[in-house]
Amino acid sequence: MFNSIKYATVIGATLIAGAAMAQDYPEKPIEVIVGYSAGGGTDVMARTAAPFIEKYLGDGASLVVKNVPGASGQIGVTEVANADPDGYTLGTFNLPGMMARTIDREADYSAESFTYLANVVNDPNVIVTSKRSGIETMDQLVEEARANPGAVTVGMSSLGGDDHFMLIKLQNLTESEFTIVPFRGSAPARTALMGGHVAMGILNISEVASFQDDLNVLGIATTERSDFAPDLPTFSEQGYELVNGSMRGFVAPKGLPEDVEAKLVAAFEQLNGDEEFLAAMAATSNPVEVVTGDDFQVLTQELWDLAKAVWDETPWN
Amino acid sequence: MYSDLLHALPEVFGLTNFFAVIIGVVAGIVVGAMPGLSATMAISVLVPFTFGLEPLVALGLMAGIYNGAMYGGAIPAVLLRIPGTPAAVATTFDGYPMAQKGQGGFALQVAVVSSSIGGIASAFALMLLAPPLSKVTLLFGPSEVFWVAVFGLASIIFLLGGNPIKGLISACFGVFVSVIGSDPIYGNDRFTFGQLELLDGINMVILLVGLYALPPVIDLLETPLKTDGIGKSQLGTEPIWKTLPRMKHFWKTWLRSSFIGIWIGILPGAGGSMAAFMSYNEARRASKNPEAWGEGEPEGVAAAETANNADTASALIPALTLGIPGTAVAAVMLGGLLVHGLQPGPMLFRDNPDIVFGFMWQFLFGAILLVLLGGSLATNSFARLLNLPRPLLGSIIIVLMLIGVYSIHGRMFDVYMMLGFGAVGWVMDKLKFPLPPVVLGLILGGFAEENLRLALRIGRGDWMVLFSNVTSLVIVALTVAVIVGPILKKKFARPKTQDAT
Repeated sequence: MFNSIKYATVIGATLIAGAAMAQDYPEKPIEVIVGYSAGGGTDVMARTAAPFIEKYLGDGASLVVKNVPGASGQIGVTEVANADPDGYTLGTFNLPGMMARTIDREADYSAESFTYLANVVNDPNVIVTSKRSGIETMDQLVEEARANPGAVTVGMSSLGGDDHFMLIKLQNLTESEFTIVPFRGSAPARTALMGGHVAMGILNISEVASFQDDLNVLGIATTERSDFAPDLPTFSEQGYELVNGSMRGFVAPKGLPEDVEAKLVAAFEQLNGDEEFLAAMAATSNPVEVVTGDDFQVLTQELWDLAKAVWDETPWN
Repeated sequence: MYSDLLHALPEVFGLTNFFAVIIGVVAGIVVGAMPGLSATMAISVLVPFTFGLEPLVALGLMAGIYNGAMYGGAIPAVLLRIPGTPAAVATTFDGYPMAQKGQGGFALQVAVVSSSIGGIASAFALMLLAPPLSKVTLLFGPSEVFWVAVFGLASIIFLLGGNPIKGLISACFGVFVSVIGSDPIYGNDRFTFGQLELLDGINMVILLVGLYALPPVIDLLETPLKTDGIGKSQLGTEPIWKTLPRMKHFWKTWLRSSFIGIWIGILPGAGGSMAAFMSYNEARRASKNPEAWGEGEPEGVAAAETANNADTASALIPALTLGIPGTAVAAVMLGGLLVHGLQPGPMLFRDNPDIVFGFMWQFLFGAILLVLLGGSLATNSFARLLNLPRPLLGSIIIVLMLIGVYSIHGRMFDVYMMLGFGAVGWVMDKLKFPLPPVVLGLILGGFAEENLRLALRIGRGDWMVLFSNVTSLVIVALTVAVIVGPILKKKFARPKTQDAT
């Protein structure tokens, strides 16, 4: 009896709150949970985007970034999945990492746990070789990997990330075999490449943009050339159909009130045409590619499928 | 490049920029002096706020905090045997015995002067030699770094104390703790019992606070009425210019320890504690009366404190040029740079010379200011803490420990873990197990494992990859010398001593 009264009250309160939200959202600060520590790539994206989202939400909206680091972002994203879907808790979302974690370990969230707002950054993969390796073109690289299976060592930032999937795509496409050397993070991998300790590396364009003189950058995994390195040919120009990258965006818990979702997605959509925002992102080496709402959800599903396919064939732990 | 260096100077002396360094140094000393609060934590708290600050104000604060905290850690290390920061563990070895002998004031003065000298040497290395030294970093791939870790582990021998078996058990405990968390290559869980909080491994500060700070605090509370014999009157504080002549003969230690600190700084991953341990060992080996070490030898304090400040600026050499931080603090500072759109790499020096070189100057001035700000005034005010009733002092420290550990990730889990380590530390202390090998085991165990496995992957399972180049072989030779040297010395020295008796 008491329980049902309590229940009814809660539902009633939620409905009233929902109705009020429709007109007034946001009426208090919105928390943005970043699953990494302050100063990391994802954190910088969130903090750079925050003032622009505030601007487009209008009415003195305020976004507060909260860092919840740990377990490669898993702790933060789980907190987002479990938060109240009232529009006052958003979170950053990394692909394919967040989806790969639902496959390679037990996670308390899944692709269905979120309302997809917008992907903001798409940092495409590049293949680089060390100066000492003597490999300067894709054809040379593939030839070497086919002639001596496993002889080419590949430095990358981790297993189960975008660089790993990129390598799997390359191996499948060219029927070659490489030896993976997973460093902890891309900067150590890049340093090992510069020192010639590994022959080849898979990184992201933002990570090699200022090191192009110290490494051989063979190509970029995009459909069109990147503004970050306009002279760098895409892989498809060189006859290899490879498109892959690391993505970062924003999600909210599943079940967001529709009008709140619409308001947020509309705010994120406007980022695309904002010159000031694009300049700020370029300054922090974040290649922007805004994909909002349903398209973002489809993108996430595609990356889940890719991760699952790779996992089924070659599980990495 | 050197003209860029001079060009950046006027900016550094801008009122707010210079003020930022001063505030940073003072805040750093305070943070460092509080057990549980570390430079890493202070700077990570600061990073989000720096979005709204001018780059040189933000960077000046960070440079100041880093320098200040590396010295501040020595204050409780000397007065209470509680290292304020991970890097101050080696300072307790001789600093605390000095304080018990009534030379606490002198120990702190040695610490502040040595810290400052180490910091200045490091800043010069960063300013003048960053590009060539970053080439040295490139020489160190996984197999070379593995050998550096082995070299560090070998130095545990000197920390074993009277009972080698107990010392080795301590070291093994440290290595075991380093295994907890996700596997460095495949990411499988190891001893995490399904706890997400354990996936990233056990934070060094949590272990250190529990293991090192809790037992002395329990000791304070156990004997509430005991007087330490190191009250203000007996602290032996003289003005610093009067004690300086007594430090003149440390110059060799200062030089050697600065060199070690800078070298450890440019290698990624090791950090201030390893620098301090290594330089303490080397200074003791070079000393004429090594048996006095551990009993209150001022030179031991000088060695440890010089080295842990000498790796501050040099840890930024690989951070700025290659994007790989030399220490945990440098990693957080890198975040502070990214926030301002300062991407590490060769372009950084070309695109933002005023900021980068200004930052380097700030490191230098931070190190110099250390003597002025951390001198008699600061040490006296901290030393006064010792006049507090022991239960009150103990309670204050416990509160600081709880706040510090909680604020690392903002979760109670870490606090419980710290208390657990505290219980372990208390038992170890009572059973006379030495604690320093635990810390070295934790730092170097994980470091050695990860790099060994990466090296073996590069060699595709062939162990010869570990001996395949000159750099590796040189470090192997050094390691052998460190282990075998003392044994041989003992063997050849024995007949002589027998003759004498």
